[in-house]
Amino acid sequence: MTAAIIAEGITKEFREGQETLRILRGISLEVSQGEIVAIEGPSGSGKTTFISILGCLLGATSGHVQVAGKDVNPKKPSRLADIRRQHLGFVFQQFNLFPSLTAQENVEYALNLKGIVGAEARKEAGELLDRVGLEDRKHFLPRDMSGGQKQRIAIARALCGKPDVILADEPTASLDSVVAEQVLTLFQKLAREDGRALLIVTHDSKVRRITDRVARIEAGLLAA
Amino acid sequence: MVDLAWKMLFHDKLRFFITLSGVAFSVMLVLVQTGLFGGLLENATVTIEHMGADVWITSRNSPNLDFVHQFSESNVERVRALPGIKRADNLILSFMQVSLPTGAEETTVVYALEDFAAWGVPWKLTAGDLADLKRGPHVIFDEFARKRFGDFAVGDYREVNGQRLKIVGTTKDAKSFTTTPLAFVDYQRAQQMQPDLLRGRASYILVKLEAGADRERVMAELRRILPHNDVYTAHDWAQRSRTYWVENTGIGFNAFLTVFLGCLVGVVVVAQTLYTSTMEHLREFGTVKAIGGSNWDIYKILGKQAVLSAIFGFVLGYLPARALEPVIAKADLKLIIPSELSVTVLVGTVLLCLIAALVSFRKVATIDPALVFRV
Repeated sequence: MTAAIIAEGITKEFREGQETLRILRGISLEVSQGEIVAIEGPSGSGKTTFISILGCLLGATSGHVQVAGKDVNPKKPSRLADIRRQHLGFVFQQFNLFPSLTAQENVEYALNLKGIVGAEARKEAGELLDRVGLEDRKHFLPRDMSGGQKQRIAIARALCGKPDVILADEPTASLDSVVAEQVLTLFQKLAREDGRALLIVTHDSKVRRITDRVARIEAGLLAA
Repeated sequence: MVDLAWKMLFHDKLRFFITLSGVAFSVMLVLVQTGLFGGLLENATVTIEHMGADVWITSRNSPNLDFVHQFSESNVERVRALPGIKRADNLILSFMQVSLPTGAEETTVVYALEDFAAWGVPWKLTAGDLADLKRGPHVIFDEFARKRFGDFAVGDYREVNGQRLKIVGTTKDAKSFTTTPLAFVDYQRAQQMQPDLLRGRASYILVKLEAGADRERVMAELRRILPHNDVYTAHDWAQRSRTYWVENTGIGFNAFLTVFLGCLVGVVVVAQTLYTSTMEHLREFGTVKAIGGSNWDIYKILGKQAVLSAIFGFVLGYLPARALEPVIAKADLKLIIPSELSVTVLVGTVLLCLIAALVSFRKVATIDPALVFRV
């Protein structure tokens, strides 16, 4: 299988006053198309920092990241935005929807940022919402929807532009177990049927049901 | 395209209202203050604008229309003799005392000409006949004088500089910068009323040029034959009069200060509300970045919000400012809001709101994109 995302020897250091904090100490990971990898680890182990680097939201201190065959150069912010736009989708624990936009508009706006506008964007947004089972909630604002429905909008938004990799941060943490199961089933479908690579940062043991592998980070290192 | 800027702005209606109130207040302050300033300056030169003279000959170094020295009225003969002059007449402008029925005295600015009709003054006669000024000891007062001189009507009498004059007409909008009411009397009558100062003397010579006359050449010749007078075009004389009031009375600084404070209030309110809004929407802006947006996409959102706030705020400030015009007119003040001023204030408002948004731009540029993962 072709690698969707490759991380080699990733380190990340932060300066805090005179002190240098080493959050990541050389992590390497490769995720193939259609593969689901869970990233686990205790709080403060560096999971979120690692996924931020893979998501081109944060630059690594050293090491190398490749997304869909493209080298990530953290010194070029516009290039990072291009990679995020073309190859990456995000699902957040807090959903991070735009509260002033309806479900349809939330998805449509993401499409607009990817250069898809007008009737085409409206049609595609509608289809994505249909796919996550929100056909009858398209014109509702997030405040009028349940946690599970919000997360499904977030997934529909993450699917905009058919990204190669979806990065999900604790996607089931704010959901009850029934809805969490539905979301996991949806993730499984995305990987198996569409061939997307999924990296899921989680503390939730239920996620293991759908993963191919579990990568455990401890003290900034990938545990064996 | 989904208009996130617009939706965000209208989603929090209370905040938007506060922003608009700040902008509207500033716009109104600037328009009203500048409009009043313009009105006062117009009063300072309204007679110059309406006289229709091409050239004004004044006493040496006269600072403005109202502060005059008299000079020999025979100068006008030399002016009339020059080629290129169509008409030249003496004008008297003098402050005189009006005795009121109450026993008090008020001041009036007397304008005296041989032939008012020839110079189009007064330009708004609301009662009476201009020709009556020559038919006896008569006077025409501006309606504004009622506030100072008590109510009067055509046919009433008032004592001006000790002479009992019959009011034969009233005018409108004839005002002076100092708000002293204007009176119009016959040229010789004025000289009789203030003989020590005015006998054989005039305050100005009004000059109308022949069509096609070389104005610069005629003015140079006037300066040559009247070395103890100054010669101005009507425009330059009006400008000199206005400049005097602006620079020497503090009114210019006062207007500038109010406009500056208005702008400052607007910028501070907009900067504050936009910045607070940006801080509260940081996660959303971080999300815009995460889903592929650039800093530029966020700048466009903030910029558009600033421009929308400016435009809506301008409208909300402009309308009440216009509505104040008749109210201010009742207080015998002029509020002049020409379209050039409105456009300038609109453009200024948009620019200042964009400047106010710069603080938010800076904040957004330094967003840690990884904040989207924080709970």
